[in-house]
Amino acid sequence: MALIKINKVTKIYDGTAVHVRALDEVDLKIEAGEFTAIVGPSGSGKTTLLNIIGGLDVPTSGTVIVDNIDISTYKPDELVNFRLHHIGFVFQAYNLIPVFSAKENVEFIMLLQGLSKSEREKRAMELLEAVGLRDRAHNRPSELSGGQQQRVAVARALASRPSFVLADEPTANLDSATADSLLDLMENLNKDFNMTFVFSTHDQRVIDRAHRVITLHDGAVEKDESTSLKLQNS
Amino acid sequence: MILSLAWRNIWRNKRRSLIIIAAIAVGLLCGLFASAVMLGMGDSLINTTIDRDLGHIQIHTKSFEDNKLLTDTIPSAEMILSEIKAQQYVTGASARLIIEGMISSATSSGGVRITGIVPDDEINVTTIHNKLITGSYFESEETNQIVLGYKLAENLGIRERSRVVLSFQGLDGSIIYGAFRVTGIFRTESTMFDRSTVFIREDDLLTLLDSRPIYHELAVRVNSVQNVDSIYAGLQSSYGYLSVKNWKELAPELKLMDEMMGMMMNIFLGVILFALLFGITNTMLMTVLERVREFGVLMAIGMKRRRVFFMIILETIVLSFFGGIVGMIMASITIAYFSVAGIDLSAFAAGLSEFGLEAVLYPVLPIYFYASITIMILLTAVFSAVYPAIKAIRLKPATAIRTF
Repeated sequence: MALIKINKVTKIYDGTAVHVRALDEVDLKIEAGEFTAIVGPSGSGKTTLLNIIGGLDVPTSGTVIVDNIDISTYKPDELVNFRLHHIGFVFQAYNLIPVFSAKENVEFIMLLQGLSKSEREKRAMELLEAVGLRDRAHNRPSELSGGQQQRVAVARALASRPSFVLADEPTANLDSATADSLLDLMENLNKDFNMTFVFSTHDQRVIDRAHRVITLHDGAVEKDESTSLKLQNS
Repeated sequence: MILSLAWRNIWRNKRRSLIIIAAIAVGLLCGLFASAVMLGMGDSLINTTIDRDLGHIQIHTKSFEDNKLLTDTIPSAEMILSEIKAQQYVTGASARLIIEGMISSATSSGGVRITGIVPDDEINVTTIHNKLITGSYFESEETNQIVLGYKLAENLGIRERSRVVLSFQGLDGSIIYGAFRVTGIFRTESTMFDRSTVFIREDDLLTLLDSRPIYHELAVRVNSVQNVDSIYAGLQSSYGYLSVKNWKELAPELKLMDEMMGMMMNIFLGVILFALLFGITNTMLMTVLERVREFGVLMAIGMKRRRVFFMIILETIVLSFFGGIVGMIMASITIAYFSVAGIDLSAFAAGLSEFGLEAVLYPVLPIYFYASITIMILLTAVFSAVYPAIKAIRLKPATAIRTF
């Protein structure tokens, strides 16, 4: 059974002046443990697809089944709860809480889950260790570099023990070395813990590392290449 | 952790938070100090009236209250007086003989209330003996002494040792005249009292009336305002056939003023807090608009809308409460200082005395008022935060996280 299963998902933004068909009957399956990149030009529907997979938006029609749960009919509050327990988010601009330390940022999502203080602290330190920032646990985001902030964001995304991580342009603000280092980290997490990563990206470095690349164009899947096919093409 | 987040968020923009905290603190300082002055003024008026002539409790016959007739005397007044004096918490009780009459000097005359007193008892009930600006308070054995107010002395063109004539109706209806020598002139906080009241010895008045001891009024002084109600209840049950009244009943205008002061204080503070409400709302709205992306992220990662709502309310409460605490500390220090040093309003003494007020005001604010103002601040904070909090929870996380 696929971790994420999208059946004929259509999303239409119906404003007073515009009528945009952002996604057009998209069918997609993503298995657990995949390291997948969703690519495409601006306006191709990447963000909409990521929002729908992440429970941040609901489709106009079609079904979205994540972890065997059909979330396409969920109400906003149900989606919040779903996101809290099933999905880890990594954003382009890191989006850490500026007044919290790295450790508190990682802890916060566990607080929302209702975990005890001792459990939160223990897991937060383990995750910061995993992303190589144990010694920066008490630094605030403003005291960390961009790469370090994004590593904290990865630790935060993993803190809720999600089914998969959605990463929206995670390397867009990073220099090459830092981006490579972050991708190494994510690859290792994927390899060692079978953690599923789904990226929305323009970054060739991410595309090169992805095991599967889904290309969207005008709201539809134009190409869906796995690693073997990528190698043949190259 | 949420409280810690709220506290730290307040200090993200120190200058803005400090400005709103200062606005709350200064607003409260002014509001509380003005309230304390008003309350002090009310207390001053009540205390001076009680000290001057009212006492805490008075007893009359029921008919005297309506008709003020010379014959409406209290039966067995001396016995009642000694019973009252023996009661716990009673610090003084004085029997008075009251007659409305005329006073004449060589140049002028006017209507006065003639109060026949036993000076040794009266000094335990009122403070007229401390208000003398010249002369003495029935210290010599000389008969037909009169102590009167400075305003009446001015009107009559008399001074200490001047002679005046009192005229009033006797028990048989005939007009009685008596010559008195001014031995003391007092000046109280009330010009009206100083213009219309004279004190003479009860013995001298009885001699003129050719009467056995008779009394119209028993005035009682209690050691503390807190004990007035219990003494009052006891006297009412013991002397139900008489009219026993406490100071609030004797001077309903004082009670009304007391209540009015309380109401005005609340209105005054309400206006201040209402104005602050808009300032706090504005600050929190700016905070929300600056943190759109952050709220989007919080909701995206799994923070429920009601929790976001509560977080903004909490931030506002912490901000307002901090400002409130600073304001209350500043106000309590200021009030404590002026409650000892007093506020010298002697420049307006003449006007104030027309209202029976002292020239030096001592602000006072009861402790319960700080509790009620705390509740008012919390309510203001909650009301202020509602609109910004609604704005925050209406954000769509998918859009908000991409806001720059």
